[in-house]
Amino acid sequence: MASVSIVGGGVIGLSIAYECRKRGFEVTVIESGVCGGQASGAAAGMLAPYSEITEDPDDFFKLCQRSLNLYPDWVEHIMQSSNESFEFSNCGSLYAIFHEADLLSLEAKKRWQSEYGIQSYLLSGDEAREKEPLLSDDVYAALWCPAESHIYAPGYVKALIQACRNAGVSIIEHAGEAELVDGEPHLVSTDKGLIKGDFIVLATGAWSQNWEKGLNCSLPVFPIRGQICAYDGPSLSHIVFTSQGYFVGKENGTLIAGASEDIAGFNTSVTEHGINRLESWSKKVLPDLREERPFHKWAGLRPASQDGFPIIGKVIEKPSILIASGHYRNGILLSPVTAEIIANEIEEMPQEIPIESFRPERFQFV
Amino acid sequence: MNDVLTIGGKQFDSRLFLGTGRYPNPFVQNQSIEASEAEVLTFAIRRVNLNSPDEDAILQHLGDKTFQYLPNTSGATSAEEAVRIAKLARSSGLSNWIKIEVSRNDKTLLPDPIETVKATEILANDGFVVLPYTSDDPALCYRLQEAGAAAVMPGGSPIGTGLGILNPYNIELITEELTVPVIVDAGLGSAADVTKAMELGADGVLLNTAIAKARNPVKMAEAVKHAIKAGRLSYLSGRIPKKKYATASSTVNYISK
Repeated sequence: MASVSIVGGGVIGLSIAYECRKRGFEVTVIESGVCGGQASGAAAGMLAPYSEITEDPDDFFKLCQRSLNLYPDWVEHIMQSSNESFEFSNCGSLYAIFHEADLLSLEAKKRWQSEYGIQSYLLSGDEAREKEPLLSDDVYAALWCPAESHIYAPGYVKALIQACRNAGVSIIEHAGEAELVDGEPHLVSTDKGLIKGDFIVLATGAWSQNWEKGLNCSLPVFPIRGQICAYDGPSLSHIVFTSQGYFVGKENGTLIAGASEDIAGFNTSVTEHGINRLESWSKKVLPDLREERPFHKWAGLRPASQDGFPIIGKVIEKPSILIASGHYRNGILLSPVTAEIIANEIEEMPQEIPIESFRPERFQFV
Repeated sequence: MNDVLTIGGKQFDSRLFLGTGRYPNPFVQNQSIEASEAEVLTFAIRRVNLNSPDEDAILQHLGDKTFQYLPNTSGATSAEEAVRIAKLARSSGLSNWIKIEVSRNDKTLLPDPIETVKATEILANDGFVVLPYTSDDPALCYRLQEAGAAAVMPGGSPIGTGLGILNPYNIELITEELTVPVIVDAGLGSAADVTKAMELGADGVLLNTAIAKARNPVKMAEAVKHAIKAGRLSYLSGRIPKKKYATASSTVNYISK
């Protein structure tokens, strides 16, 4: 059987590894540090494309919708294969607005999303507070979307690692910075030696720009720092979105507030400004947090692409090499569909959704 | 050439008004704003953290650079609502400039002309620097000028469509008739549309989606900057009249014997 070697042991690389192994490939994952150690482990784990995408039904929306629909079966497989369980909550979401003028945009979103079978309900402020009593009296209205859910990202990644191992994926950690070998499209050089693969998948998130030279193509992926903090309760029964941030209550009793984005290169420390703005906004949305202080603060690097779409697919000039990167805020959500697309690409199977907008070749050096 | 744009007593070297929505990420947003050299930035007040604008999800990335903020009332469905929103923005200390945007149709987002005139009158009398977004009707634009608008912003086509200038005849009439600056707002999709607007005599353009949703927003921002200059120079230089038949560009007089 052909072999697939994947560079990057984040949620994207691991999902691709699991999917390819399931389809019978011999699979190796090469991770520079430890698996799930970057953005994957830092994520709040929201599976909420309908709240996040407010604009129009483009290919990215279809990609997100496909992935959300794959999630229940995907989670079941990962839990079975790993023999581990993790929180996967179909709690639904409330997109809360504080201003009458935001109603028009909620109505527009509700209208176009309903054409894609997505049910959502416009609630008055009082109706929203009935569903989520912690919401501030300042909430003017909310869009309730029952189909959205969230997952405990660290638990999911841990189970994914175990599922890969149990299925026979070889995982090489602490491999240092991997490099393509000039003129050898089936080799990756690492601190742990040369690794072969009939197919090489590059799933290195915020670090993807490093491949530009070896591939001689433009891979505009930039690290955007996302800072998050967690409170010890009170609990929420829905994901709460607002224009300035989100809130999600986890089974373990923590309430996560995110996220502050900024541009800080590859620095993953938190800043006073970043956390302060989360704290002051938290108090506005959930007044019960007025006396609380977050007990945990952390940051991860989101791989942001130049046009906001992920980069997924074969490199046309070097078809043994594939890219899966640039997932930005949606790596956890898009992990099952990215695994499906990459495995289909390798097997030359038809795709379930259009992927032309995500192909690596769309970027040119300008 | 000292060709500056003056609105509400302020002078600008750049004739680009840039929207801050829909960028793929803060990095690309900042680079695009920088490449565009825009001095006026617009954003929806309903989305902004008015309690602390420096902590706002979008505005916080703009850093120390000084821009003229042009908050807009998008989402407002009546003059009363637009007036309330404008006052919120002013009392938060953001700006006394206001782009009036009133629409009742979430599908076309076309401006409601009657409510727009009403809101312009009320806010101009209240000391705001008012820039109404309006449909491309010359008589209506004239009425907005009379109502006290500091500049008038007719749409080329509906917001975010990229359809360009659907009625260049009207836009040209508007730029000819008005004495306040005319900023073509909405619907412009590319550098060509921008140049066209400027050649029609616009004093500036307002863009958002054409840059934010381009495959390479930063380069598109640069393209738009050049397009404004090209269109402006072309307008000031005076285009040749269109003729049906050819005129040789090397005339006999110049042929040496």
